Amino acid sequence: MANHSATHPAHVQHHFVDSDQQFESAKLGMWVFLVNEILFFGGLFCAYIVFRAWYPELFTQAALELNKLWGGVNTIVLIGSSLTVAMAIRSAQKNQTKGLRINLLITIALACVFMVIKYFEYEHKLHLGIAPGSFWNPTPEILHELSDPRANIFFGIYYMMTGVHGLHVLVGIGLMIWLYIRAGKGHFNSEYYTPVEITGLYWHLVDLIWIFLFPLLYLIE
Amino acid sequence: MSEHNHEHHISTAKQLWLVGGALIFLTILTVVVSNLGLPSPLDIIAALTIAFVKAYLVASFFMGLYWDSKFNAMLLVGALVFFFLMVSVTLLDTLYRVDAVPSF
Repeated sequence: MANHSATHPAHVQHHFVDSDQQFESAKLGMWVFLVNEILFFGGLFCAYIVFRAWYPELFTQAALELNKLWGGVNTIVLIGSSLTVAMAIRSAQKNQTKGLRINLLITIALACVFMVIKYFEYEHKLHLGIAPGSFWNPTPEILHELSDPRANIFFGIYYMMTGVHGLHVLVGIGLMIWLYIRAGKGHFNSEYYTPVEITGLYWHLVDLIWIFLFPLLYLIE
Repeated sequence: MSEHNHEHHISTAKQLWLVGGALIFLTILTVVVSNLGLPSPLDIIAALTIAFVKAYLVASFFMGLYWDSKFNAMLLVGALVFFFLMVSVTLLDTLYRVDAVPSF
């Protein structure tokens, strides 16, 4: 037993053979969760496809109410945050705690920028009465632009997809703050950075979902 | 122990910046293409092709599937296969209705 624990680093739980097996198991678990996430968003994408196939003109018309510029800026912000998360993992792998914390901080900042832009987009639409479901109450000028009586379907899908995606960004910010605090306590090094790695995987998935949401919602001509 | 850990792939900063740069380039490209006013099925095909190339870059190099156990890549591909199955079977119903949503 004494020998056994001597070869076992503190972070390795007793039911794993070694650090590497623990790391690979954690990663596999995260991938299974991400599969679940993809199929969860998949249901929403499926609704999008069904309604777009039924009412193509409606999507063309309603998408004009979305601001391509801010959608594009948010895409680049999220790509930037994916890059800094990848850099954070690299820092952890190279035992650079300071680099890890700086990259996590930039990621948190970029995620906040994304949410602030999203807030102003929502705020603008809600102000014009472009609200989801039974709150749908557009101003006369908007109703003139959105002559299609089913325009609220597009915005129901828009609010649901971007809203659930935004919730994922908020969860990501929480996880990143947790990593930042733990990194400050010196919990991560090249031998053990599993939480950084799997949070990174989660964050990249949030980016992946947005990569599809942006052209499908904002860039319809 | 440590020999095992050193097998983890560590991307160089240059590689990561290149991938990030490619993703930003493709984002700008997709906006430019959407402004060209391509005819109906072509615009969606172009937008989705660019989106899938971006997704490939993120999954391969940021999520590390390129160097990772192929089992994880299989899970991702499997999720996509089941997603397309879900969409296909749904469309078999919704595309062939006389009245999309009755009384709507």
